[in-house]
Amino acid sequence: MGQVLTYAGLRGLGALATMLVGTLAVFLVMKAAPGDPALIALGDFATPQAIEAFNAEKGLDRPILSQYLAWLTRALQFDFGESLTVAGGQRIGDLLMFRLPNTFFIGALAILIALSVALSVGISAAVWRGTAIDTTATSAAVFGISMPDFWLAYILILTFSIGLGWFPSYGFTSPSDSLLSALQTGFLPALAIAAPMAAVFARTLRTALLENISKDYVTAARSFGFNKHFVFVHYILRNSLIPFIVIVGLQVRYLLGGVVVIERIFGINGVGSLMIDAAFGRDYFVVQACTVVFLAIVLTVNFIVDIVCALLDPKRTR
Amino acid sequence: MRWSRIVENRTALTGLVITSVFLLAIVLGPVISPYGPAGFDFTAVLKAPSWPHPFGTDSFGRDVLTRVLYGGRVSLMISLSGVLAATAAGVAIGMYAGYRGGLFDAVFMRAIDLLFAFPAFVLALFLMVVLGFGVVNVALAIALVYLPIFARIARNMTALVKSDAYVQAAQVMGQSTPRILLFEIFPNISPPVLVQASVAVAFGIIIEAGLSFIGLGVQPPTPSLGVIMADGQEYFRKAPWVLTLTGLTITCALLGLNLLGDGLRDLSDPRLRLRER
Repeated sequence: MGQVLTYAGLRGLGALATMLVGTLAVFLVMKAAPGDPALIALGDFATPQAIEAFNAEKGLDRPILSQYLAWLTRALQFDFGESLTVAGGQRIGDLLMFRLPNTFFIGALAILIALSVALSVGISAAVWRGTAIDTTATSAAVFGISMPDFWLAYILILTFSIGLGWFPSYGFTSPSDSLLSALQTGFLPALAIAAPMAAVFARTLRTALLENISKDYVTAARSFGFNKHFVFVHYILRNSLIPFIVIVGLQVRYLLGGVVVIERIFGINGVGSLMIDAAFGRDYFVVQACTVVFLAIVLTVNFIVDIVCALLDPKRTR
Repeated sequence: MRWSRIVENRTALTGLVITSVFLLAIVLGPVISPYGPAGFDFTAVLKAPSWPHPFGTDSFGRDVLTRVLYGGRVSLMISLSGVLAATAAGVAIGMYAGYRGGLFDAVFMRAIDLLFAFPAFVLALFLMVVLGFGVVNVALAIALVYLPIFARIARNMTALVKSDAYVQAAQVMGQSTPRILLFEIFPNISPPVLVQASVAVAFGIIIEAGLSFIGLGVQPPTPSLGVIMADGQEYFRKAPWVLTLTGLTITCALLGLNLLGDGLRDLSDPRLRLRER
């Protein structure tokens, strides 16, 4: 256990360091980007004096590293400044606070759907390897990773909203208002994000299971006369979970990308749609804040995945 | 990898056939098609799929299939050039880091890991805001998304093979580092790179389509697959075929690329099995 804790500490420090350098990189790239925030805020016909005053007020005339430190200190308190164009004058921190729960809800629902589909499909395909079940599952999975998720979103809308009328095609009720409506309005978007992920998960799980089924320790366990199900759960599945969890962690990188587009299609007030709106409005500080939030989510998930894997297989901590 | 082995592997063969059919279609299709990508016909606006227009027509009366074929060229070129740039830069950095080891390896791979910590599409979106929209920048965004993946593969593979006998032999013969990397190490790490590249081209097409679909990528009137779908999204309820059939075409084309990638992966050493996607 002590070893795992040391490992967790080291990993945590690594994640913090990545966060620090990552935010610095985002900050520097934003600085290098064309477009002067003063001109955007004050309009193209601002006088040089007004621009100077604006820059002095916002601290934009100080050296870049001190600007970064000032930004970081405020960002740590979840203060990302004010939105310029998207939600003129509103605090970006408040915008994020309002939208993050929606994004989390959709993301969590998508992961849940993807995991339940992947576990059942992946295990069935491996257990009945080479049968029609396996062939169907593997073909469906290749199909799944080949679909653009936003295309699937429209297919779902066409079928389940316009055709059958089971789900709304646009709009989202925040889970804090009504959990049931949130589930109903969030189901199709979550499904669209989940499908390609489920495909990737199921493929990984199937491969991992098949690799472990032919391992010596499985043959040994069988020869001890252990029950088939016991061997499957405790020897095969347990050892296949590590690559599976690693892939689940890695897929968060793609999940968040899917969230961005899908939120826009379904009109969900999340961080992803905020980022797109900000991208169109050239609202640099909002884009920056959203990028940082997404970076933080990925790093947190990676950290959790590392710890879970270390707990499952303490050898990894060495 | 010999051709006969690809033909024997059913997955690889299916993928190769599908991919070739699509390649042939986007190369020859626009030549055969009686319509142009911008041929307005206001007497045939938003027509449902039929024999003269298998994919129907859009709001300008343009033949959607013809536009998809032209758009396929644009999207494939963008994805290919992005992935090619990522492969060249990533493999060069990764091989050198893996071969040299030490501080250079540690520092460079940390920097690469940093890129890897950003969600792929968010990174692409962020770059589009900074660089501006347009064809070249979409390719650049795809390249940056894939750079860390290729660098990692190349680095790990190089670290595996660098103490092999043939590398030592080359070192003893006093060959220069670039020569060893290019002629000894590169041929031995290329199979997994190739596999990853075929999958990367497929996902690169999805990135292009996604960026252009939300309006931050390729800008109309240039037809790319994403631009056509963005177009179709505007009148989705009246004429769903523009969006659905374009997306279906993308799905089938990527199915070919992914099957090809899967097949090639099976054919290359199973020890070298790589991450999905």
